[in-house]
Amino acid sequence: MVVSLFRQRVTLVWLGLVCVTGVSWWLGTDHSAAHKLATIVVLGVAFTKVRFVGMYFMELRGAPLPLKLIFQGWCVVVCTTLLIMYLVGG
Amino acid sequence: MNRKAQMVCLWSAPAFMIVFLIGFLIAGLLPPPSPHSSAIKIAHFYANHTNAIRLGLLVMLLAGAMSVPFNCLIGVHLKRIEGRSHVLAYTVVAMGAVNCILICMPVMIMTAAAFRPLRDPNLTQTLNDLAWIPFVMVFPPAVIQNLCIAFATFTDGSRKPVFPRWVAYFNLWCSFLFLPAGLLTFFKTGPFAWNGLLSFWVALTVFGSWYFVMFYALREAIKSQAADEAAGAEPATERVVPPVTAVPQHA
Amino acid sequence: MSSGEFTAPAGIDGAASDAAPTPRQGRTFAGHVPGEVGVWVLILGDMTVFALFFGVFMHYRDHAPALFRHSQATLNQTFGAVNTLLLLTSSLFVVLGVSAVRKRMRTVAPKLFLLALCCGLAFSVIKVLEYSAKARHGIGLNTNDFYMYYFILTGIHFFHLIIGMGVLVFLWRLSLKPDVGTKQIQYLEAGASYWHMVDLLWIVLFPLIYLVK
Repeated sequence: MVVSLFRQRVTLVWLGLVCVTGVSWWLGTDHSAAHKLATIVVLGVAFTKVRFVGMYFMELRGAPLPLKLIFQGWCVVVCTTLLIMYLVGG
Repeated sequence: MNRKAQMVCLWSAPAFMIVFLIGFLIAGLLPPPSPHSSAIKIAHFYANHTNAIRLGLLVMLLAGAMSVPFNCLIGVHLKRIEGRSHVLAYTVVAMGAVNCILICMPVMIMTAAAFRPLRDPNLTQTLNDLAWIPFVMVFPPAVIQNLCIAFATFTDGSRKPVFPRWVAYFNLWCSFLFLPAGLLTFFKTGPFAWNGLLSFWVALTVFGSWYFVMFYALREAIKSQAADEAAGAEPATERVVPPVTAVPQHA
Repeated sequence: MSSGEFTAPAGIDGAASDAAPTPRQGRTFAGHVPGEVGVWVLILGDMTVFALFFGVFMHYRDHAPALFRHSQATLNQTFGAVNTLLLLTSSLFVVLGVSAVRKRMRTVAPKLFLLALCCGLAFSVIKVLEYSAKARHGIGLNTNDFYMYYFILTGIHFFHLIIGMGVLVFLWRLSLKPDVGTKQIQYLEAGASYWHMVDLLWIVLFPLIYLVK
């Protein structure tokens, strides 16, 4: 019964998030990588993870449209703003 | 229920905000003087705009006590939730009194600084520090006040709750946002200094929006209380006094 | 209040929707708000404030990228990554815990919340280790701009996490109750959503502070 509990889509999402965290970690600590590109990927990946946490863990997939839009809108706006600030700044 | 008195207390909130803002602007304290400024600069500020500062501070002093009736109004409606025990209502009322002092005291200290603007600049700077630090930093009374409102609203087990539940969550959010002001003790520049984005401007915005939200919530609460009494319902019997458990059971 | 299995929102656990839209609501508002609307005022509000924090960090970083890069190198990326994994796993436990309560699995559900709490405790231990390591090197809030943001942003997040652990205890106690009705599920979902927020904030904080060069 416990095993059946783990056999849900959400566990697959978790696995994906864990793998992607590993990739980000590698990219972020690899000092030979092109900084700007690595950062763009790392930040983009982070906000994609946030979106998945919201949709699958917070169960926003079944939520009313306005709530879904606000949450995903936050992800897009914050990610874009931070990337622009990063690329235009230092 | 004395509806007229409650409405006066309700409208004292926007009056407080307007008078407070006018005082701030007359005194030229928006934006606040920087904690990084030298003593000479602070002394110049008090010496060059002395009468405007004195007048603005006087207006802010008026505003200080105007903030109290609104808290008492909140207390009255928390009493409706709490039934026989008025603990949370009393706490909110007490915090209202504290907030009044927290406005009046810094204002008076700045008034003292403006009283003899040609004194030793180091003394003027000291008075300025003594005013601004408590003005921005003292967050616990506001936090506790908001936590009481949130707690009361969450445990409101009646069929027609006094405040909607989102008001409780909003009060929790406001509490979070008052906390960073405590960090101003470590910084003279940057977003956490007493004139910084996060310690001052965000806190000021949250302070203002709290008044807007509570004004709206109280207006509805006053209306529903009046409707209850017009319908002849006895307030004491209508309320289902919630048992003291972690999770209130809904009737 | 129905006895037996509590049906979950559409798409979750593969169960049928329990919130069919009325003709008046139309399709826009169809769906199930996890927990209640009020908790989303808190969650989205907090996310907005943190977004402001992130923006402020990036703004000050733009003024001194070399300093930030240099100071960042003294941080322990491994600790940060492990913390991310801990929170992701704790979130999974919380999701499964809520799912277990819905499925009336009364022995499993509380254990899952306790496991999530353990992850939170492990995170806390690592955080304390990190902070004390810095303190031992004489690095504090006032050392430079980067460290100011490092301590304050992770500190404020840590504060949210500690509150979150209190919420997890509340969820654990809820899951122990024999009678689980609509209200309890609502509180469970609301509390779980708060914990997921703690998780997602760290998902951004870790790369932003530890990895961005």
